[in-house]
Amino acid sequence: MEEFRFIDLETHDAYTNMAIDEAIMQAIKEGNAPPTLRLYRWKPSAVSIGTFQGMRDEVAIDYCKSNGIDYIRRITGGGAVYHDYNGEITYSILMPKKHPLALTDIIDSYKLLCGGIIKALDYLGIKNAEFKPINDVNVGGKKVSGNAMTRRLGCALQHGTVLLNLDVNQMFTILKVPQEKISDKMISDVKERVTSIRDILDRPVEVDELREALARGFSDALQIELNVGKLSKEEQNTAEKLAKEKYSSDEWNFSR
Amino acid sequence: MEFLEVIDLKEANFKIPGGKMVKVKLDASSGKIQKVQILGDFFLHPEETILIIEDALSGCPKDEHSIEKIVGQTLTDSSATLIGATASDFSKTIMMAWDAD
Repeated sequence: MEEFRFIDLETHDAYTNMAIDEAIMQAIKEGNAPPTLRLYRWKPSAVSIGTFQGMRDEVAIDYCKSNGIDYIRRITGGGAVYHDYNGEITYSILMPKKHPLALTDIIDSYKLLCGGIIKALDYLGIKNAEFKPINDVNVGGKKVSGNAMTRRLGCALQHGTVLLNLDVNQMFTILKVPQEKISDKMISDVKERVTSIRDILDRPVEVDELREALARGFSDALQIELNVGKLSKEEQNTAEKLAKEKYSSDEWNFSR
Repeated sequence: MEFLEVIDLKEANFKIPGGKMVKVKLDASSGKIQKVQILGDFFLHPEETILIIEDALSGCPKDEHSIEKIVGQTLTDSSATLIGATASDFSKTIMMAWDAD
C-alpha cells in the first residue's frame, strides 16, 4: 500500500492555497517531500481561473473587489471555479511523475484520481456519481466536482473542488458564463448544469462530514495509507515567498 | 501631427461541441497574424507551450490549413499534449476571429 502525507482540512487565502501546491511540488522534485493529499478551504471566498483563461474575460472583477472576493490564476488548465468558503472543499493530490498512481495517459489519470471523489460521495449516500471525461464528476448529469491537473517539476498535481452548497446566483454573478457554452447544451438555465451535495441529498451536509468522506474516499479508492502530517519549514517558506511574489501579483493573475 | 495607433483586436469564441471553449484575440494586418492569444478552458501539457504556439503563429497568413499545420508542428516539436481541443479547433477559432466584425 502506497503511503501519502495527509494535510487535513486547512483554511487559507487564495494566494497561499495555490502557493502551497507549488511549494509541495518543488519539495517533491527535490526529494524533500512525500506524495501528499491535502484538503483546504478558501477564506476569503475566491474565484480561480484556468491557466489559459483571461482574467477579465472570466471574472467580474469589480464585483469581486467590492465584495471582498479574491481572484487568482491557477497553474493548471481548465475552467473558472468559485470557491465559496461555505460551499466547497478543495483537494490537491501531488506525487512524483513516476509514482504508480500518476498514470501516463491524462484521461486515465483523471479517472483514477476522481475515483477518490466518487468513493467519498458514495460514503455520503450518493451512489450514482460518475467520472465524466475530461475532468468532471457528475451526478445525474450535473457537475458536482471539477478537477484540473498539471505535470511539471517532475510531479503530477491534480486539484479540484467538491461542491457542498451552491449559491448559483452568486456563482454566476462572479463568473462570466459565455453564451456559447450554454446554448451548446441546449440548456438555457445554467442552474441545470451544476449541482451540490446538499441539493442531491436534500439535507444539510457539514464541511466536516465531507472532509471525513474525502479522506476515506481517496484512501480506499486509491489504496493509499494516509499519514497525518504538515508542511515542512522549507515548504512553508517557499509557499510564503510564492504567495507574495507570484500568486498575489497582477503580473501573474492578469498575464492573460 | 501624430496619429494614435488603434489596434483593432478581433475576437471569437468557439465552443467545441460537447467539450471545451476556445477563445481567440487576434491582431491581424496586411493579411498576416501580428499577434494572437489563444485562451480557454482546455488543457495543454506542458502549459508553457501555449506561448510557443502563439509566437510561432506570428506572420502566418490567413489560411486555416497553414495555421493548423503550425499549431500541430509546434505541439509535436514541444512533445506537448493538447486535451479537450485540437490544432484544428485553434485554427478554426482564429479564422472565426479574423472574419469577425
